[in-house]
Amino acid sequence: MKTNFKFWGKLIAIFAIITFLAVLPQSPSVWATDNVVKVGNIIPLSGPSASVGQQGKNAREMAVEEINAAGGIKSLGGAKLEMVYADSESKPEKGVAEAERFINTEKVNVLTGCWNSAVSYPTSAVAERYGIPFIVPVSVADKITEQGFKNVFRIAAKDSWWTRDQFAFLKDMEKEFNTKVEKLAFVYENGDWGKGFAGQWKALAEKGGYKVVLDEPYPSTSTDLSPVVQKIKRARPDVLMLVSNAADAILLTNTLAEYKVKLKAIIASGGGHADPSFLKAAGKNGQYLFDIVEWETDVNKPGAKEANAKYNAKYGSNLTGEAVDAYLAMYVLKDALERAGSLDPAKIRQALATTNLTGGPGMIVGYDAVEFDETGQNKHAALVMVQINDLGKGLERITVWPKSARRGGYKPIFPMPKK
Amino acid sequence: MTRQNINRFALILVGVVAFGLPLVLRSPTYLHILILLYLYAYLTSSWNLVGGFAGVLPLGHSAFIGIGAYASTILSLQYGISPWIGMIVGGILAAIVGILIGFPTFKMRGAYFALATIAFGEGIRVMVENVDNLGPLKINGPRGLQIPPTNIGFGNYMFAGKEPYYYIILVMLLGILAITYFISRSKLGYYLNAGGEEPEAAMALGVNVARAKLIAMAMSSFFTALAGTFYAQFTLYIHPKSVISLDFSFEIAFIALIGGRGSIAGPVLGALLLRPVSDFSRIYFGSTLPGLHLIIFGTVLILVMIFQPRGLQEPLTRAYNRLLDKIFGGTEQKEITHEYS
Amino acid sequence: MIYILEDAINGVLMGSIYGLTALGLTLIFGVLKVINFAHGSLLMVGMYAAYWAIILTGVHPYVALIIVAPVMYLFGYYLQDIVIKPIFKAEKDVREPITVIIVTTGVWYILDNLTLLIFGPTYRNIQDNPLKGKMLEIGEMFISVPKLWGFVTAVVTAAAVYWFLQKTRMGRAIRATSLDREAASLMGINQFKVYNVAFGIGTATAGIAAVTLVPFYNIFPSVGVLFDIKGFIIVVLGGLGSIGGAILGGIIIGLIESIAPQFMTATWTEAIVYGLFLVVLFVKPSGLFGVKYDW
Repeated sequence: MKTNFKFWGKLIAIFAIITFLAVLPQSPSVWATDNVVKVGNIIPLSGPSASVGQQGKNAREMAVEEINAAGGIKSLGGAKLEMVYADSESKPEKGVAEAERFINTEKVNVLTGCWNSAVSYPTSAVAERYGIPFIVPVSVADKITEQGFKNVFRIAAKDSWWTRDQFAFLKDMEKEFNTKVEKLAFVYENGDWGKGFAGQWKALAEKGGYKVVLDEPYPSTSTDLSPVVQKIKRARPDVLMLVSNAADAILLTNTLAEYKVKLKAIIASGGGHADPSFLKAAGKNGQYLFDIVEWETDVNKPGAKEANAKYNAKYGSNLTGEAVDAYLAMYVLKDALERAGSLDPAKIRQALATTNLTGGPGMIVGYDAVEFDETGQNKHAALVMVQINDLGKGLERITVWPKSARRGGYKPIFPMPKK
Repeated sequence: MTRQNINRFALILVGVVAFGLPLVLRSPTYLHILILLYLYAYLTSSWNLVGGFAGVLPLGHSAFIGIGAYASTILSLQYGISPWIGMIVGGILAAIVGILIGFPTFKMRGAYFALATIAFGEGIRVMVENVDNLGPLKINGPRGLQIPPTNIGFGNYMFAGKEPYYYIILVMLLGILAITYFISRSKLGYYLNAGGEEPEAAMALGVNVARAKLIAMAMSSFFTALAGTFYAQFTLYIHPKSVISLDFSFEIAFIALIGGRGSIAGPVLGALLLRPVSDFSRIYFGSTLPGLHLIIFGTVLILVMIFQPRGLQEPLTRAYNRLLDKIFGGTEQKEITHEYS
Repeated sequence: MIYILEDAINGVLMGSIYGLTALGLTLIFGVLKVINFAHGSLLMVGMYAAYWAIILTGVHPYVALIIVAPVMYLFGYYLQDIVIKPIFKAEKDVREPITVIIVTTGVWYILDNLTLLIFGPTYRNIQDNPLKGKMLEIGEMFISVPKLWGFVTAVVTAAAVYWFLQKTRMGRAIRATSLDREAASLMGINQFKVYNVAFGIGTATAGIAAVTLVPFYNIFPSVGVLFDIKGFIIVVLGGLGSIGGAILGGIIIGLIESIAPQFMTATWTEAIVYGLFLVVLFVKPSGLFGVKYDW
């Protein structure tokens, strides 16, 4: 029994230390708030969405370093932004618990997050209850800004805009290349995100006079997607529209190539197809794929190239649309804080609501201003369509739509050449 | 003062502390952590009725959480029925499902039972994810259901602060502990215990083991479903992957085994150890070293199992008795009341 | 008709690979009488081992077997020896020590998250390998070459494990222990040594399964979880402890996953798999091909 006691002694000691640590940070944070603005970020850092979460974290870090190095928030006497992060593990209840902790114990002034729409709903409700401004860089579900909340501000476009632009792009392509598209296939992950897109696709296809030959959700935990690919092949669609997470996006793209499925185009919806791993892991099989995103490295905006180069040097991959939204979110916050000149949440909220950000280092996005409508949705958030192609320097993502944003001298490949 | 009086006094003291805690502990963060701790202790105690007494290892109890959460949420969102009533409806529904699933599975033993219940839980999740509308009921598939946080009030099972939730779950926890206590002293408890250890012998003695197990299963699913409603009202958003998740089912079983399965205090002790480990390690390492908190959690699981394979309840009981011996000099070797058998 | 044939072939090939991933699970259960919840994580470790072996040496994926299988054997051997054995010692008199399930789950959390810490959340796959994307085209029909290799490997591995259990001295000791561990101990068999070897072999088959997967599959820290639940279903379908049953159980799952989506959405096939699983458990709890033991 002696060994047992030693073990218990140790266990109790560990316990005591943990409890001590837990109580410790409560006290200083209360009076350290004067020249610090505390920003709580709830993102998935472990679990299946860890990759996206990490990019969001990197982008935030980079923005905050820049802001702090440039003197912080001047109207608050040069206050620095202090970031605190929490791992949601993509689980709503963890997100809620962390939001509670951030607001009550860490006394954050602003919250951001959560990428997974399923985490963002209940978490934004917590922020609303306490009246803490909640900035959502990316979580595309329409619902998030349609809950009647006063404190939720979304930078990214909502999913009805994504789907609307996908169809607008398709129509424009048909016109530009004089190719008729009749049959569509919808294949999407069976989750909040995929189902949300698919519902709107159906309505848009009907309005646009397309025939839907396949409407197929698949479980994102699939280990083999060849049955789904066979279904696509046999349905003989002209255009395939996808919503995928990273692992399934790679698997699907490779399997489509293996089975030589002939399509006029594949239109993806960001997410897994925009993950930096995708280009490396899908390689040549991803060529000619169209992907709708919020931002691309070749965007014609001052500062975009430099920001991307800096990010790439720091973290070893290009900025993605999601990362840029997170980056921009920090500058939107900075702008609002400057105008609020106070840490009162109501004042910050007021400042965010009257945001009209048109310049500065954060505005590397394709559109000209950030302004929120009464629901908290960024009115100007626009999307671009990119095509994955090899212009002699390896595969890259090239902006093709809207035409005004198209990379100079590039002619999109549509329909896809027969390999 | 006799030994029994001391135990009674200690229990009352713990109760007073539990009820008085929100008056001292004002931080909603810690209240939130405590609420989850009680919730898990409650869930594990409900699980214990089957997993502890009947000697099997159910790993699909999140299905009942899901049934409870969905039943009360659908009834309140679509028909305006108070979640308090929906909670009972969900409980009854879960009890029926529990009997249906228990009927064939209780014939299985050991690993087969564990795997069958995993498949049952996962099967229910897949069904919910695939169904948008079940007749007139809107289930909303993988998108889940959201409860608008507008109708605050006791009748709507919705509160602005944490304290009401704290007291609700505390009362629920005390209730289930009392029920477990009475069952453990009843004929049913005796039958279950006998059936769990030596089913053949028990049957030879004329004990209807199968019936006893089914009754335990029905009660266990009923009480688990009540917590489903609590979870839904507490987080105000449910979707299949959060309420019917394997993680949920597993964590309940872990807490029971770490605390000491088949004892009344076990679930509470298990929750007291595991919940803080999981919460505080996530808070401290979740952002800087992603995944480290789960490594710590896994290590604690392994260490406790290596050093105390029967759970924490046994050595702590012993330590408690020794403490009493030291203070009062008694040499009575009476076991404390927190145990069955 | 040709479609059904094509789907059936894909189902058999992919299914045999599922069977191979579950082979170690059934072997470990047969001997130790515990469900190894860390099996998917062992598969993941095997995939990373194979990935680095192939990337660093540039060899044909299957050559990596020479490195991966022994490494995984040792890994499993010592995992059992250091982490799991103490619990068996503490719970000597229990036939199916449930506590071991908890310990293997702890191992699962540790392995998956340690991998996340070390290698990050990136999705990897091996771009330049001679098997990637290779297809056999017979008229209209497409058959995946890496899956064909996987099928052959699965059958050969299962046969080899079977032969080992039947014909070698150690194999017989393993079987004796799995039937009755007290009697085997009395016969002078070192029970814990047998456990170590069985766990090692089980882990090595997970390594072999990993090698068959890396030519066409993604590698990331939580990849094992995808195969975990599938593995449980397969081993119960095939009969816990049955080597051939694991492969056949895998093929059944593969066939359902491949053919059923042609008649319904892919998400429902999961429900069919769970349904079939429960039906088999109710009707024939020892599994479709299992021997009736008393557990």
